[in-house]
Amino acid sequence: MSKSAASAAPALPGSERVRAEFPVVKLRVAGRPLVYLDNAATTHMPDAVAAAMDECRRRYCGPVHRGLYPLAEEATRRYEDARARIARFLNARSKDEIVFTRSTTESINLVACGWARARVGPGDTLWVTRLEHHSNFLPWQRVCAQSGARLGIIEIDDQGILQWESCPELFGPKSRLIALTYVSNVLGTISPVRELVARAAERGIPVLVDAAQAAGHLKTDVQALGCDFLALSAHKMYGPTGIGALYAKSERLAEMEPLLLGGGMVERVGETGSTWADPPLRFEAGSPNLAAAVGFAAAAEFVEGTGLDRIAAHLEALTRSALGCLAEAGDVVIYGPRNAPRAGIISFNFRQVHPHDLAQVAGEIGVALRAGHHCCAPLMSRLGVAGTARASFGVYNRAQDVEALMAALARARKDFH
Amino acid sequence: MASRSVYSEMLLDHYRHPRHYGTLDRADVVRRGRNPRCGDEIEIAVRFDGDRIGGAAFRGRGCAISIASASMMTEAVAGKTTAEVIGLLAELSAQLAGIAGRQTGPAPAWFAALAQIREHSARHRCVLLSWEALAGAIKRDGR
Repeated sequence: MSKSAASAAPALPGSERVRAEFPVVKLRVAGRPLVYLDNAATTHMPDAVAAAMDECRRRYCGPVHRGLYPLAEEATRRYEDARARIARFLNARSKDEIVFTRSTTESINLVACGWARARVGPGDTLWVTRLEHHSNFLPWQRVCAQSGARLGIIEIDDQGILQWESCPELFGPKSRLIALTYVSNVLGTISPVRELVARAAERGIPVLVDAAQAAGHLKTDVQALGCDFLALSAHKMYGPTGIGALYAKSERLAEMEPLLLGGGMVERVGETGSTWADPPLRFEAGSPNLAAAVGFAAAAEFVEGTGLDRIAAHLEALTRSALGCLAEAGDVVIYGPRNAPRAGIISFNFRQVHPHDLAQVAGEIGVALRAGHHCCAPLMSRLGVAGTARASFGVYNRAQDVEALMAALARARKDFH
Repeated sequence: MASRSVYSEMLLDHYRHPRHYGTLDRADVVRRGRNPRCGDEIEIAVRFDGDRIGGAAFRGRGCAISIASASMMTEAVAGKTTAEVIGLLAELSAQLAGIAGRQTGPAPAWFAALAQIREHSARHRCVLLSWEALAGAIKRDGR
């Protein structure tokens, strides 16, 4: 293969070539290499994303949608190009169906306050699932408290599988919205979004998908999924912190009120009333996070360049390996299904060691694990625990990292037994 | 990044062999401390002897730090006045918060073992859970 052809072929997840793009994997803790297994919390940015953001700073940083000189026009063009890139990443029909927000959390709050609040009242039901992160639970809880609507919860079985098909009222005449996670940030399970959306659509029930853990790990095609709303964050898919997006069908965006009011989102300002700009700018008050939008687009480029199928297969292999080792250990409780697919996330507990102690000890020898309730109190309550330890894989993890995880468990076992 | 383990030998010893674990005869107050974020639950029982701590015991479940801290506390407060106990809690809190306090001589080994968790802010509540429960018991008893 010629040199140019070799470098044009995408780098495989877990390979040294991919790892070389992430300076974090070269960090050391107490003389050992950092083994980062907390990707569900946040992922790291490859050099290409940082370079794109730095190029913004060097070459075209300027006011977006606010200036008439060439630099401002270039900044605006790059911002809108970033929007278009995210639209392509999600296979939205139009880039105007993409609203840049601060995060998945902000995206969901925008839908709750700007769309759902005006549409529900006593007798109505908003549905969430037992798996939801607080960011896709609390906004709906508040809408219900304010409106008199009921918050319905789609339960899970002991394996963590959503029992949506045996929830008789879910598609009933009083259901106004279903909000569900695509990938559980605790169990790593993948919700049957497409099937659920199709059933909901038959009854005219809109669906919001929390894709925070899915984007960058699985294909997130909003047209194939058919959902009305989808929320995601850049920093969970190798992009920068501080930016996310809300996808919504244009007819939904047309119905939505903005959360924040201010510069850039208004058509006409009068003394007694004002009118809003069209979506998506209606929902982007204030100066946008230009560098982060550019970084977000570069992250989408990185993910698609590496190949979502390859990433998904890589995460699945690592997860299967880790599940096997954890199951063999004998003193580890694994939460969620043994046999259903997982998107790179495993929650577990030692029978005798508190998850915080496990995570602390693991951290001291360079293995970054998460411990706690993972902002999923309703799920923890169902699992009967206050918290779990969690390992979550990313594109730069490799087989040795599973060994490091098991070594951390061995160390904790020794220290605390 | 921190290079010293949170889990000193002393801390691990108190975790593996907690002192005064269980109920307390003729307890005057029993008070529970709970950290909903991690599920640590410590119940403190205390017996007063005038204005002094006549005895303290604890039970509950939690991480190694919360258990060890409770164990160290039950040893450290025995015989101390309630004012001294409140003062100890204030000093421990200040140490964890990184606020320099008055140093009157070398700190006891148990205090140093807990204070060195200062670098790990996520575990401060684990250290203070039992102490705050004891302080609550003292105040509730009107001392």
